[in-house]
Amino acid sequence: MTWNYSQKTTELFMNAVRGGPGSHMGEIADPDGLGEHGSIACGDALRFTFRVNRHPSDPRLDVITEARYLTFGCTSAIAASEALCAIIEEGSYTPIGALKITNDDIVRYLDGLPQQKIHCSVMGAEALEAAVFNWAQRRGVNLAELGIDIQRDEQEEGRLVCTCFGLTEPYILRKIRELELRTIPDITNAIKAGGACMSCHHTPGGLQDLLDQVWGKQPTMLRELPVLPTARVPAERPRSELSPYKFAKEVERVIDQQVRPQLHKDGGDLELVDIKDLIVYCRLVGACSDCVAGGQTLKLLVERALKDEIDERIRVVAV
Amino acid sequence: MDVIYLDNNATTRVAPEVVDTMMPFLTSDYFNPSSMYDAASGPAAAIKQARRTIARLLGKVRPDEVLFTSCATESNNTAIFGTVAANSERRHVITSAVEHPAVYNVAKELERRGLEVDFLPVDRSGRLDMADFVRALRPDTLLVSVMHANNETGVLFPVEEMARIAKETDPGIIVHSDATQTVGKLPIDLSGTSRHLDLLSFSGHKLHAPKGIGALFMRRGTRCRPLLLGGHQEDGRRGGTENVAFIVGLARAMELMAERRDADEPRIQAMRDRLERELVARIPFLQVNGAGAPRLGNTLNVACHFIEGEGILYQLSSHGICASSGSACTSGSLEPSHVLRAMKIPFTAIHGSVRFSLSHYSTDAEVDRVIEIFPSIVANLRRLSPYWDAAANRPRPEAMSMMDSAAAPHS
Repeated sequence: MTWNYSQKTTELFMNAVRGGPGSHMGEIADPDGLGEHGSIACGDALRFTFRVNRHPSDPRLDVITEARYLTFGCTSAIAASEALCAIIEEGSYTPIGALKITNDDIVRYLDGLPQQKIHCSVMGAEALEAAVFNWAQRRGVNLAELGIDIQRDEQEEGRLVCTCFGLTEPYILRKIRELELRTIPDITNAIKAGGACMSCHHTPGGLQDLLDQVWGKQPTMLRELPVLPTARVPAERPRSELSPYKFAKEVERVIDQQVRPQLHKDGGDLELVDIKDLIVYCRLVGACSDCVAGGQTLKLLVERALKDEIDERIRVVAV
Repeated sequence: MDVIYLDNNATTRVAPEVVDTMMPFLTSDYFNPSSMYDAASGPAAAIKQARRTIARLLGKVRPDEVLFTSCATESNNTAIFGTVAANSERRHVITSAVEHPAVYNVAKELERRGLEVDFLPVDRSGRLDMADFVRALRPDTLLVSVMHANNETGVLFPVEEMARIAKETDPGIIVHSDATQTVGKLPIDLSGTSRHLDLLSFSGHKLHAPKGIGALFMRRGTRCRPLLLGGHQEDGRRGGTENVAFIVGLARAMELMAERRDADEPRIQAMRDRLERELVARIPFLQVNGAGAPRLGNTLNVACHFIEGEGILYQLSSHGICASSGSACTSGSLEPSHVLRAMKIPFTAIHGSVRFSLSHYSTDAEVDRVIEIFPSIVANLRRLSPYWDAAANRPRPEAMSMMDSAAAPHS
């Protein structure tokens, strides 16, 4: 899978990594707004900060003058962060006005993004929203009174649908509507949900059900997968007349009394790994473990002792 | 700009000698080897000869134990689905958590079809625990399929030992190994050290033959149904007209690998070791994945904490350097490599993994170039990272604490 980024995307990325002029890489100390989205565990994370020119009387009229980002992520995540900062600085937005910037604006600024990278632009829009929310708290602006509905709690409160990326039902439902996501790949491309283990795709209450809930399709009837007939009972293997517990105790006793003392003389020891029916698995440890003849010695020594003392049918496998 | 190709575990350059050997069968000797007329005897004889050569190089096995396929994926599918279909009285399969998708996803499919599959875990160095393997063996174990060397980290697995333990436990257990990364690089002796293996898969394009040719060693008497049903080719074990030119090319490539092995492998390993040493010395918070385990000499997998691999590859590519990454953004999925997750590589580093893999054609000058460029690429991305303190050139304090117990998620 090679890169099919636009020239704009690669230019922004290369300029950012080179620390070239015009890059918005960085973090504003003591910012007026700070928003974060993503996490290192999920593969991309963005810390977005902005500074405003404060209006003397009405904070709603603050104007964003400077925007910076620090991003952990791929080429397009870094380019999308650059785009976000550039759009905001060029537009002289108020923080509330900046909420109108969508991920589509970021995609457009980048002259397009590959479908599977759309989530990079969504990450930018989400971090911006978080930063505006943070600004409102700092400046004492009540966004709800202004009719702006930013549900910061929905992530914590809803039922978890995509466990890999920790995304909840209310969040996914909102994004399906906002971003007009029509298929599971749409959802994955935009917000990553369902992009890892994929087990939430068609489970009850999974992504397809959420899509159907929003767009009103009939739920898909899941057909049961064919299951092979169960295996015939495998051939009986020879077993000891002793109970498995008694047998294991006997094996340990013989090893302790007859084998270990001989190995100890050479500075070695023996580890009993497992017992399956009449097969005893063990390995040499200590000085004996490097011995070339170790495997054969072990087999002969231990097997002879166990055969003589417990059961002639016992076999020893060196591990 | 010259290309510096350090992605040989993905595919290799076709050796010019191999191309020369193949050319007649792409031009004048195009006849179907199954045809009766005299003209077809050339291609038929060439296949016979190639089969003999490969059988000899795998440790003097019988030529009829070598099957030609289209790729290692087909060999793996044949080996696994084929033995499952032919041994319905058993329903348990053992594999590892770090197999190539051509085995891993087949094993997942077996689970869906009602078989029980144990995926053996690995430790942080990528090693299997033999005690885990012994414990997993059951009376109804049908198949053990464990790769010979891991494609991402180069970590080698003791498949010969595992095969012996399986056979000593129960000769009815079939043992398969995906040896795609080792055939050619390491000597394989299916009559000696590897005599307990029943099935062994590999492909041509990892050893300087072209893409589109693979092989499956199938020991005589192994109960295995064909995957591709068709004509009587390959004694009815794999239908489809033989890919004559590519079969001949595979044999030639294996000959070259064997001829060059004694000179190549120490030289390649010395380059890899130098690359590893220099990068570790120059880049802080860089870890070598699989460092504690026996590894293939050509593979170096490093993980750079607090940056993402795709941006690394993009910058490497802008310098003409080809490598690969286990990061989510390069995988086609949105999660990082299942191999690195199984190794519990910390989530602070797992997205920043880069694999360099060398070959016969790699040079010291190429390694020098990577040593020169790679540290600055890492530094560039760390300057942008919210987890990195660029002034102090170290992780931020809160990021440092994430590193300590940071096991990868979703594993």
